[in-house]
Amino acid sequence: MEAKKANDYKFDISHLNLHYGDFHALKDVNMKIEANKITAFIGPSGCGKSTFLKTLNRMNDLVENCKIDGNVLLDGKDIFKEMDEITLRHRVGMVFQQPNPFPKSVYDNVAYGPRIAGIKKKSQLDEIVERSLRQAAIWDELKDRLNKSALGLSGGQQQRLCIARTLAVEPEVILMDEPTSALDPISTSKIEDLAMELKKDYTIVMVTHNMQQAVRVSDNTAFFLLGEVIEYNDTEKLFSIPEDKRTEDYITGRFG
Amino acid sequence: MRNRYDMQLHLLDTQLTHMGELCETAIAKVTQALKEGNTEQAQVVIKEDEEIDQIEKDIERLCLKLLLQQQPVARDLRRISAALKMITDMERIGDQTSDIAEIIISSKWEKMDENLDKLTAMATGVSKMVRNSVTAYVEKDLELARTVMNDDDEIDDYFDEIRDQIIQLIREADGRDGRKLFDFIMVTKYLERIGDHATNIAEWVEFAITGVHKDSAVMH
Amino acid sequence: MNRVQRARGINQIMTGVFYLIAVFFFTLLIGFASYVIIKGFTGATPEMFAFARKGSIGNQLFNTIYLVFISLLFSIPLGVTAGIYLAMYAKKGFLTKFLRICIETLSSLPSIVVGLFGYLVFLVFFGLGKSLLAGALSVSILAIPVITTTTEDAINGLPGHYLQASLGLGATRWQSIYHVLIPACIPRIMTGVILAAGRGFGEAAALLYTTGSGTDLRWNNWNLTSPPTCPLNIFRPAETLSLQIWGGLQINGQDPNLANLSAAILMILVLLFSIGEMH
Repeated sequence: MEAKKANDYKFDISHLNLHYGDFHALKDVNMKIEANKITAFIGPSGCGKSTFLKTLNRMNDLVENCKIDGNVLLDGKDIFKEMDEITLRHRVGMVFQQPNPFPKSVYDNVAYGPRIAGIKKKSQLDEIVERSLRQAAIWDELKDRLNKSALGLSGGQQQRLCIARTLAVEPEVILMDEPTSALDPISTSKIEDLAMELKKDYTIVMVTHNMQQAVRVSDNTAFFLLGEVIEYNDTEKLFSIPEDKRTEDYITGRFG
Repeated sequence: MRNRYDMQLHLLDTQLTHMGELCETAIAKVTQALKEGNTEQAQVVIKEDEEIDQIEKDIERLCLKLLLQQQPVARDLRRISAALKMITDMERIGDQTSDIAEIIISSKWEKMDENLDKLTAMATGVSKMVRNSVTAYVEKDLELARTVMNDDDEIDDYFDEIRDQIIQLIREADGRDGRKLFDFIMVTKYLERIGDHATNIAEWVEFAITGVHKDSAVMH
Repeated sequence: MNRVQRARGINQIMTGVFYLIAVFFFTLLIGFASYVIIKGFTGATPEMFAFARKGSIGNQLFNTIYLVFISLLFSIPLGVTAGIYLAMYAKKGFLTKFLRICIETLSSLPSIVVGLFGYLVFLVFFGLGKSLLAGALSVSILAIPVITTTTEDAINGLPGHYLQASLGLGATRWQSIYHVLIPACIPRIMTGVILAAGRGFGEAAALLYTTGSGTDLRWNNWNLTSPPTCPLNIFRPAETLSLQIWGGLQINGQDPNLANLSAAILMILVLLFSIGEMH
């Protein structure tokens, strides 16, 4: 890859080590994540990719016995030392594997983040809800049922609603933890198209078990194995001419 | 381990080897026909080209099936896409071999003693190139693939020599033997083209192994 | 008879057994409830429905509802808070385990023991008179574990991702609990509250030593600081329906018909609550 300016990178992670008790879950991870790109993390179960993703907005803080060393810089600022986790999570939103709307109306789901952040004016909330749902390409489907419970939506709609809910907070980065693994192929391709649309305005980091998905949507891919980043490269390059034998074995399905 | 997948890839290797052998045999037979002016042998070569066309279709189908079912990446993707390109070149080799056979049949090929040795050597050369390029693919042998690319220079040299001699002969013949000399240069040109196709194959072999095709990254 | 036929046969038999058991309990409930209610109303006279000092059930009905209401004022905040603590904040360890055992024990305490405890603590130690407040507090002791357990179960029963999603949007732990978890739990917490209230309505033993048997209410006296005849005064003695039943059957000279009517009204009250719980 050609040399890039410092501000082309959203995250700069260096010498990141993470322990769960005695278990060394992430080993000396060094990675720069490009702004306005989709970066995919692949690797077998338990390889640390999800753990690493959650570290980026400090969702690991919830886990007991979790010890983190090293630096994670967001736009040059250390997320552990120079930022509190609330501010961080406003800037770095997350979409989970299982669509997880709150048992509230569609409107209240999307307005949740802004309300928590102190926005009370109805007109302002209306505007945010509409904008977020439009961005998540689900406004047309849901505009007539804003006051219906979000739990009545289909899985694919729920997941796009969750993306809208994340967008409502106006983050800079969106973390997606296997966002389509619970969805059917049509919903999956809608989410993928959406991710590719959103990268114009956001930096997207995605964990996926589906390698074809990584090939289809991501610009860069990192391959994790046993807590280490084995290879991190341009997606096309990683999937056509991987440099490491372990990457090659994993992506061609000859692992183990 | 992807057992079925690996078996399908192995089948691809076997079929490519077989196609390479068919091309080689065709070249050998047409060389024989050239030497002896044997039109029956030439007929056999034309007949057998159908077999090459058939196996090209078989390999094509197998590659598309592999692309669809296995969604190959990395080395598998390179091998399968290289195979798809290689069979086109091999099919052309088959066509050009039967074009030579056509010339033998239609022109009542007359032997030209002074140049026939060179022509035979050239035919043996391209035959070896075809064999080596396919072997290089199956054995994943980069060195052998590069040897094939270098061997093409030798074939080009043969072509230049024969062409110069034919020009000389045309001058000397003073209008006689026009058809014969023209056919001779055609056969030489076809052999030279076969050499080029073998080189193309070798270049795709290099791509399958390294991901680089003719010094530029096709995928990156 | 082959294997499939036999399995189908057993399936049908078991289905029948369960229907029979269901019908049995349904009949039992209907029979029992209608017996109590019909018997209560057949012996009743119009005066019994009055809010009089003697010979009526009006004041007792009011006391019952008021006492349960007051006890819920204490037990809902305490029970819900304790449930949230156990579900969300308590770290796994000896102390939490011990606390949980305490709550379980509390919920299975015989109510007469709770009554004695209430008597010793609220009357003897804190010097409250026999009063509605002392009774309400005693009933709270019975209600708190029920509400605590249902709240904890309700929160633990929520999909774990609600909390994650909320935190992921930049909410604090408390904001997540207050805006997402509790609203999502309210139907189940309400079930616990109704169960606790139901228990409070019928409670007699815990109130024997704590509420006294006064029913001297003046329905035109709404001055809380006046002598204990104001209906809303929580420091006055307050006989409930259940105490009235107990008294009616135990103390000579009381009209058993009055006790029967009390029982009928109490029955209706509890049934209404149970039906309400389902909605």
